[in-house]
Amino acid sequence: MSAKITTIRVNGAERTFLARPETTLLLALREQLGLTGAKRGCAQGACGSCTVLLDGAPVVSCLVPVATVDGAEIATVEGLADGPRLSDVQQAFLDGFATQCGFCTPGMIMSAEALLARNPDPTTAEVAEAISGNVCRCTGYQPIVSAILDAARRRRGEGARR
Amino acid sequence: MLTEIHVPDDVPAVLSLVAAGARPLGGGTVLMPWFNDHASPPTELVSLRRAGLAGVHRAGPAWVIGAATTLSQVEHDPRLEVLSPVVRSIASMPVRSLATVGGNLFARQPHGDLAVALVALAATATLADPGGTVELPVEDLVAGGPRPGLVTAVAVEPPAPGTFRYLKAARRRHNSASLVTVAATVTESGGVVTGARVALGGVGARVVRAHAVEAALLGRPFTDATVRAAGQAGLSEIAPADDAYASAWYRTRVFPVHLRRALLGR
Repeated sequence: MSAKITTIRVNGAERTFLARPETTLLLALREQLGLTGAKRGCAQGACGSCTVLLDGAPVVSCLVPVATVDGAEIATVEGLADGPRLSDVQQAFLDGFATQCGFCTPGMIMSAEALLARNPDPTTAEVAEAISGNVCRCTGYQPIVSAILDAARRRRGEGARR
Repeated sequence: MLTEIHVPDDVPAVLSLVAAGARPLGGGTVLMPWFNDHASPPTELVSLRRAGLAGVHRAGPAWVIGAATTLSQVEHDPRLEVLSPVVRSIASMPVRSLATVGGNLFARQPHGDLAVALVALAATATLADPGGTVELPVEDLVAGGPRPGLVTAVAVEPPAPGTFRYLKAARRRHNSASLVTVAATVTESGGVVTGARVALGGVGARVVRAHAVEAALLGRPFTDATVRAAGQAGLSEIAPADDAYASAWYRTRVFPVHLRRALLGR
């Protein structure tokens, strides 16, 4: 078994580390790079709590051997805020009480980021489809959907929902 | 235990590694859940990510889809519009960004809805090994057990407008395995069905080519009564299983309903 020198660009910064064959992108982020925003829920690709953006596309990072994405661009929830200033999606989640236990939140937010990058004016149904791979066991889906719609409005310059 | 992950830059290298025993890894959405949760014998994987097997091009009347093309790429490719609703019925966006066309052919039922559609569309697959390539119908590929070699591409001709039908019944609107999947191409002329090719998912260990359904449609007017009779005929060729999504009884019971909804839209 051989570990390989692997380099990925995470939230704009190049990070190089040794990756064993079984090291997934999720484990590399959490255990080698100290980025614990993405969560290990099911390790089956079913819960979405590990969702990050891989070259701009949302992926379940628990299913990606990190050796296969050497050189890729990764975006995680840690890269969204600007210091203490939350991103528009994060702020909408906070304002709309869309975080309960918080475990699913980073994955939800990254799925929302992927949706809004592609579709700045989604319908409720499109938001529901976009987060269909993200499980919230607090079952707080309604405020999450509302928060994403609210973030879309903010991003379009229409102001926050009251 | 994963002992090595190869990420070769070209297809010949992939084929020689596969021939030597490495397991091909497309998007990892089938293999990686297993490796994440199980102890396994020493295993080498060969990733298709950089091998040049992703992408779509035209070859005569057909679109040729590289085996490593992701389901998301298919979903958003306007040339493959006919397959967009099929792909959108599979899993979730973070999975579709990884899952590949080639890999989905081998997803076990009640997953693998793309294969159901490709059988109905009479798609062909290219199977390669270091000695060369062969073309074979996707129907034959998914009907049997594992074959040596690697699927490198799928070719599908766009159906005539209005002839393709697809319906996946599931427990949830998005991101759920099939209860019953119906894909069909149906042509009519002179008030009767002149061509029918019907494939079913969720109702057997493998994708079912529904010959009895097709026979019950051909030469008859495309009406409720004909489709009802086709549904009854189809009961002879389905063998659903009990699983976490539905019982075999339930799938059998609702199959004629979903066949009717798929074919007639009501």
